[in-house]
Amino acid sequence: MLISEFGFAFWNPIIWLIAFIVVMAIAYLFRSRGQKQYKKDTAQTKIFLCGEEVPEAEQQHIRAHNVYWGFFETLKGYYDKVMKPHTGIVNDYMIWFIAIIAIIAIIFFIVGQV
Amino acid sequence: MSFKAFKRALWVYHLNTGSCNGCDIEILAVLTPRYDAERFGIMLVGSPRHADVLLVTGPVGRQMVPRLKRIYEQAPDPKMVIAIGSCGLEGGVFHESYNLAGPIDQHIPVDVYVPGCPPRPEAIIEAVVKAWVKLEKVEQGVS
Repeated sequence: MLISEFGFAFWNPIIWLIAFIVVMAIAYLFRSRGQKQYKKDTAQTKIFLCGEEVPEAEQQHIRAHNVYWGFFETLKGYYDKVMKPHTGIVNDYMIWFIAIIAIIAIIFFIVGQV
Repeated sequence: MSFKAFKRALWVYHLNTGSCNGCDIEILAVLTPRYDAERFGIMLVGSPRHADVLLVTGPVGRQMVPRLKRIYEQAPDPKMVIAIGSCGLEGGVFHESYNLAGPIDQHIPVDVYVPGCPPRPEAIIEAVVKAWVKLEKVEQGVS
């Protein structure tokens, strides 16, 4: 049997395993005697959030990379409007680019005429 | 089948719905060494999902109504509700306040009423015992 001794202490994986199984058995015994009268799919099985309504799953956590969450939350009205044109589609960005270039060209043309 | 010894160990969730803290201090006094309700297994828990009994204090402000109902719904059945203090019973000194939504029993069913401003710890212990007796009767009726 593998026994390591360190002064007064010793390590025996078999004893550790037996102790682990005994503890798990006791824990399972307590758990099996627990409350079984929960009503499924009611508030009794929902997360307790100090009485607050539990938000949607994607809103429950602020992701670690989003250090600007406070800015987005505070300036929500601004960001809602600004983020809509940012579709992520290159064609949209090219349309914006060409439109702005055209507007600037027209302005230069008018200013040049004057 | 659950452990019989645990049936008498009531776990209590304390909810303050706008109390002045007088009743809450008396509830804490029940747990101090002078009264020491924990020796009977009666202890405060941090979630209504673990509780047998809800101890509700305060006159119920308007903002607290949905929270009060949600917390009541989250407690597993069978459950008891104890209204502690005059405010929870009929508004107490705040009864004419514009931002109150009425006594506790207008929103959730109350099983034991403990009047007083604040009630003494002995009264709270007696209320818990009454709730325990009622809970036993309910459980016998259920099973």
